[in-house]
Amino acid sequence: MRHHPSRDLIIPGPAGCVLMATALLAWSILFLKAEEQIPILVYMISGSLLVLVAALSDLHKSISATISSNESSWDKCMTLTLLALILIFHDDHYTLFLLGTIMVYATAVLGLNVQLGYTGVINFSAASFFGIGSYTAAMSSAAGLPSLPALLLGGIVAALVGCVLLLPVLRTSGHYAALVTMAFALLFRVFLEVNEWFGGPQGIAVAPLTLFGLDFSQDMQLWGIEFSFYVKYDLACLLLLVLAFGFVRRLERSWLGLSMDAVRCDETAGACFGVDIARWKITAFTVGNLLSGLAGALYAMMLAYISPANFAFPDSLLFLSILLLGGMGNNWGVILATVFVVVIPEKFQVIQEYRYLIYAALVLFMILYRPMGLLPRKARNYGRLS
Amino acid sequence: MELFLQFCINGLMLGMMYALVAVGFTLFFGVLDVIVFSHGDTVMIGAFGGLSMYWWLGAVYPGLSLTWTVLWVFLAAALAVTVVGTLVARFLIMPLRKAPPLNTLLATMMLGTVLREAIRLFFPDGSNPKPFPHLLPEWSWQSGSLTLRFDNALLFLSGAVMIVLVHLLITRTRLGMAIRAVAQDEEAAQLMGVNFTMIVLATFALGSVVAAFAGVMNGLYYNEINFGMGLLLGAIGFSAAVIGGLGNIYGAILGGFIFAFLQTLGAVALPFASAYKDVFAFGSVIALMAVRPTGLIAEPSSQRV
Amino acid sequence: MSVLLSCTGLTMRFGGLTALDSLDMAVEEGDVLGLVGPNGSGKTTFFNVATGIYRPSSGKVLFQDEDITAKSPQEIYRMGIARTFQRSRLCLDLTVFDNIMIGNHKNLDFGIIHNLFKRRSFMAEYEDNLEKARSMLHALNPALAKRIHQPVGLLNMIDRRRVEVCRALVSKPKLLFLDEPSAGMTHDETRRLMDEVLAFSRADEKFTLVLIEHEMEVIRRTTNRCIVLNFGRKLCEGDYESVTADPFVQEAYLGTDL
Repeated sequence: MRHHPSRDLIIPGPAGCVLMATALLAWSILFLKAEEQIPILVYMISGSLLVLVAALSDLHKSISATISSNESSWDKCMTLTLLALILIFHDDHYTLFLLGTIMVYATAVLGLNVQLGYTGVINFSAASFFGIGSYTAAMSSAAGLPSLPALLLGGIVAALVGCVLLLPVLRTSGHYAALVTMAFALLFRVFLEVNEWFGGPQGIAVAPLTLFGLDFSQDMQLWGIEFSFYVKYDLACLLLLVLAFGFVRRLERSWLGLSMDAVRCDETAGACFGVDIARWKITAFTVGNLLSGLAGALYAMMLAYISPANFAFPDSLLFLSILLLGGMGNNWGVILATVFVVVIPEKFQVIQEYRYLIYAALVLFMILYRPMGLLPRKARNYGRLS
Repeated sequence: MELFLQFCINGLMLGMMYALVAVGFTLFFGVLDVIVFSHGDTVMIGAFGGLSMYWWLGAVYPGLSLTWTVLWVFLAAALAVTVVGTLVARFLIMPLRKAPPLNTLLATMMLGTVLREAIRLFFPDGSNPKPFPHLLPEWSWQSGSLTLRFDNALLFLSGAVMIVLVHLLITRTRLGMAIRAVAQDEEAAQLMGVNFTMIVLATFALGSVVAAFAGVMNGLYYNEINFGMGLLLGAIGFSAAVIGGLGNIYGAILGGFIFAFLQTLGAVALPFASAYKDVFAFGSVIALMAVRPTGLIAEPSSQRV
Repeated sequence: MSVLLSCTGLTMRFGGLTALDSLDMAVEEGDVLGLVGPNGSGKTTFFNVATGIYRPSSGKVLFQDEDITAKSPQEIYRMGIARTFQRSRLCLDLTVFDNIMIGNHKNLDFGIIHNLFKRRSFMAEYEDNLEKARSMLHALNPALAKRIHQPVGLLNMIDRRRVEVCRALVSKPKLLFLDEPSAGMTHDETRRLMDEVLAFSRADEKFTLVLIEHEMEVIRRTTNRCIVLNFGRKLCEGDYESVTADPFVQEAYLGTDL
């Protein structure tokens, strides 16, 4: 048997997952703790170099082999890594908000992934459905609804508003379908701006999440340690993300996901084998909007104040860019790309001003030279219970 | 009644501008089967190109006659946009020809963002709106509350002339024949000796010149331009081209006027505040797509199974 | 033998083009029927009408004495008609197994609880289907069965055709339409593939096959009856020898040198 030197670099099995997660955690802590531009740049470059080395050598193969053969350990490691980051930065409002934003955006993009990545339903208004969730949460909690129902209502209303678009979305295809959702995104923003009831262009305040008498907007002391109120929000975001991720992944690994793929690949051929095209498009569109709406509702509560500018057409494009950057259909890719897109301009202030230019150029580059994204989707693997 | 006429006149002006933008969308779709969403931002580049020329003329040849200034401004806009348009066609659109349509659409949206951001960041004080000079004589004809401005009439007429010119070019010249041939069947056209790349570039140049015209027209009409104007204009142009049925030039022109009509209707005739006019117009577009999923003048679709 | 599928006065117009012109024909149970004719004679259009992709301009299609003219492709598939396509329409980025399971749509359990939450029962169903697909592939090409978890895009043409045949056969249809199985393959590959398909069909007395094919050798070897179409009409029908002896057929389709 041929010897693969690179295979030895990674400890196989759950221990390998733990090792990688620890390395990732250590790097994240260093990166997030850094405040000067120079160390940030150094960490960023060294991180990218590591990734590049892994991508160019056989290392990425053994990493992905370790991950996919120890999936449940990897899932737990990643959840624990996020949990550890939240606890380590327990009093750092800024970093905690960043983490929360990543988790909420990732949840919304997972919804978009069900629509576009799995089923091929074009949606240029993902940020609008995110916004519907936000505004629903704001309005309903202002009307006296308790937080948790308001949160759920955010998702439900987003899904219901999506149903209004179903008829044109189902009847059109290709560029025509793109126009429908694009028109909706533009319409939504203008509507929010001119409608006084929703606070107009200035926006509207959102009541904080309150669960079991626990007010999420208050800092707290536990065992003599100061915890930022964002810790609570981050934990809620983490819960939402884990649930959404599990749901979306199980969806993929079922006949439901297979049918969605059949719709995306070839509607005519699918129809000849009994695949009900409309049924799966409706399911995917509704599920995706539900996730976006839930994420939006939680984001609004965390942000405490929302305005139409948060949910404009460029934001929908940003969500799409994340999906494309991560790799259409790949859920881990979504998370990776969300981290990139949210964190890098925030930490690397020099590029803050230029971030849209850089995103756009980067995505352009990806479409031209690596259209499958950073982590291309793998062949479906039903073989696990989770 | 006079108010109604005034709105009609304004609506026609808007319609002409939208039609000019939509013609570009539909031309590009015809030859390459792609939506070049950055076309709206190309229009914006045209306006900024024209403005730069005006500034430069003011600095170098103060006192140049208005007629010459207008001509140079148009020329500069056309040149800037043609360069951008053909470069985009050659290095972005043509390499993506075999990619899924969504990728092309996204790529051109990203390109639009790049153009917008580039102007915002690198044009002098680019993030603020720029006043656009009055270059046309400001005569007007007044009747009660109805005002018919000479410069607007001139703009409208030249827009119409532009459309007629495009029509003649497409239907009467060898170039137009080649464009139509490529639009119909790219491979057959190539077999008949049509240079595909050249025709695509020529089409993009043509669409770009029309866009440049629309950009300067936009500046002259509103007397203000800004880096973000292309996004909405592009979305409207795309809507107009789609309403008319992609690939059909007359459909695109019709679509442009229909969109302007919808906006005007939303602004004056319906029982809600005029601020909702875009909501109404885009809502109508969505409803229209539900009823006529391939546009009013449907593109002949044949699916081979 | 009873009539499985029949059509009467079937006409399909696309704008000014008449692809099917009041076609009458019948497919009997157990038939291996060859559908031949020059390009554009309406063969594939007939498949598309019979599988519900197109609604005919006029005329009727009956399947097991039930009118299926207005039925959707999905309903027709459920009644037991499956097909392959002229240009292989597999999902290239999905695995061999996934592609075959798309053809097994009517036998899968789509319950949300079953699929998402009762993963144990889902996995049991999955294992059953995996075994089924594997044994089908094994019968065609043992090497292909080993590649069941690979994307179809990695396979060569004949293996792709095999996957397509499996996708069509996995739901045990009563009637199979094969649209030009030889396209893109060598004579030898076509011969092998057709032998494999016929082996399937011989296992079941009632299995019925309609085959569009340009290669007359394939028609001669496999079919028991042929129908020749020209300009959307039936030119003649009969066994291979009588059809090829027909002077009209020779003129319209085979040329004069045969």
